[in-house]
Amino acid sequence: MSEAQTILRCEQISFAYRRAPVLDQIDLSLMTGEVVSILGPNGSGKSTLLKLLLGELRGKGQISWEGKAIGRWPRRELAKLVAYLPQNPLIEETQSAAEVLAMGRAPYWGAFGIENEKDVAVIEAVIEKLQIDQAWLSRRMDQLSGGQRQRILIGRCLVQQAKVLLLDEPTNNLDVKYQLQILSLLRELAKNEGLTVLMSGHDINLAAEFSDRLVMLSEGKKVADGPPTQIMQAELLERVYGIGVEVITRNGGGLVVIPRHSSTTLTTG
Amino acid sequence: MKYFGARQLLITLLAAFALWGIVAIGCLCAGSTGFHWPTHEQMAIRRGSVLTASLIGLALGLAGVVYQAILRNPLADPYLLGVSSGATLAAYVWHLPIFGLIFGSSVLGIAAGEEVFAFAGALLAVGIVFLLAMRRGRLDPITLLLVGVIVNSINGALFLLLNAIYRDLPSNGGPLTFLVGGIQTNLTTAHQVIAAAIIFAGFAIILYLAGQLNVASTSDAEAMALGIRIYRLRWISLIAASLVTAAAVALSGPIGFIGLICPHVARLFVGSDQRRLIPISAALGAGLLAIADAASRALSSEALAQTILPVGVLTGLIGGPFFLFLLWRDRRRGNRGAI
Repeated sequence: MSEAQTILRCEQISFAYRRAPVLDQIDLSLMTGEVVSILGPNGSGKSTLLKLLLGELRGKGQISWEGKAIGRWPRRELAKLVAYLPQNPLIEETQSAAEVLAMGRAPYWGAFGIENEKDVAVIEAVIEKLQIDQAWLSRRMDQLSGGQRQRILIGRCLVQQAKVLLLDEPTNNLDVKYQLQILSLLRELAKNEGLTVLMSGHDINLAAEFSDRLVMLSEGKKVADGPPTQIMQAELLERVYGIGVEVITRNGGGLVVIPRHSSTTLTTG
Repeated sequence: MKYFGARQLLITLLAAFALWGIVAIGCLCAGSTGFHWPTHEQMAIRRGSVLTASLIGLALGLAGVVYQAILRNPLADPYLLGVSSGATLAAYVWHLPIFGLIFGSSVLGIAAGEEVFAFAGALLAVGIVFLLAMRRGRLDPITLLLVGVIVNSINGALFLLLNAIYRDLPSNGGPLTFLVGGIQTNLTTAHQVIAAAIIFAGFAIILYLAGQLNVASTSDAEAMALGIRIYRLRWISLIAASLVTAAAVALSGPIGFIGLICPHVARLFVGSDQRRLIPISAALGAGLLAIADAASRALSSEALAQTILPVGVLTGLIGGPFFLFLLWRDRRRGNRGAI
């Protein structure tokens, strides 16, 4: 794999809905092949940050992908670099899994949405890579389990041949087995293919295990950014989440965060 | 893994054309004198009738599938949205004496002016529906229907008012045609040619966007991430669909439910891929309205109808229950949010 380079650089990005500030002067950069998780309480601005990076929302500050300001990227070209999956993707129930995968080729389509052999080759390579069962392809999306559906949707991002995946809570609504499956898949893609992953999440222990770096947001500000061991500090987490936290060392090394039930804000009022 | 190349597009278009062709030949044979190949004189009359009905049906089947895609709402239809009645009313307003004084009275000028007015009326109606039914970028299905019903009633009332004041206006087969829609028999060639040009131009634009319309089924953010300029896509398709609707209903008045039924039936055959759905839905629309038109011609031979029955009566009789069936089915599924 080639030398890691800065693929995303954000400086002082801020965003407000109406007058209420959501994000306040965030600096962030991503290196190629990096897996980074954004953590923070509900409403801390995680989803908004991802939408700003995608260009769906426009705020203040500088965002540049591969050294070029986001406003200067044509939509189609940016789609070949950056793929995105929202927290609750909107799926037409009658669409088949194959149709959803094929949609990932949209940035490459000609007029009338005409596809060619290359499109098919890319889709088939993704099906193999994600070990997507052939039987799923003809099924409607609402006939697949949550884990299968998520796999197809991540497949759609890969079919885009993007170098960066922006994933908003990709393990939302999945059971533990599927959470592990999806996260190790992303880890592998980053390692083997130099894919860059920026995802938001709530499970700090899972995020720590599968990410190179954690970014902690709180009330729209970036309060910490660094390797997992640096973020998993009781003092920081207690301040951000407003609960008591215990950080213990596992047998094989590595840290585990355990919330302390007795001192949650819910019980104290 | 199958893919959709230029070949598949061509096959789909040919299949759509063949589907319509078979139906159209059948319709040529139907008339007030029974079912047989038409005589030379009958042919001249029926050919025009079948082609006009097909053209209008094509437009409605096309507009329906586009409205359903971009509004992400399977109950969208030019008639239910109030677009059809808005266009019909505006096309009627064009015939008020005051506009005749301003724009003169050449045959081409009248036909073109009527289309322009119909288009303005269609856009105004769809604009009102958007304004009132849009919540955070999504159209609430129930509000959409309510607004459509009200817009239809207002347009109907205005039409009847104008009709009462100006009794001697040409065109439009009177209040009955406005309420149920019917194919006029006194159309000039200029009318038909202009409408056909607009409808086929709209068809080409919409077909060109067919792939992108597939992506319009996702959320705005996802569509953008897939490289689609979703807001631009929505505007262009909405304007194209309204233009096509306006061109059609300027000839016929608001014919109901074709735009609702055809996309649903087409989906049963070819699935939800817009690249196949659009041509097939348009062909079904053309075929279905040609059949309804032929049926109303055939019925006029029976004692029950001395005059030719407006075709909107038949589409209403078939389409109304179909609409209720869709509502019933989705209610049973417990799928209230999306209907």
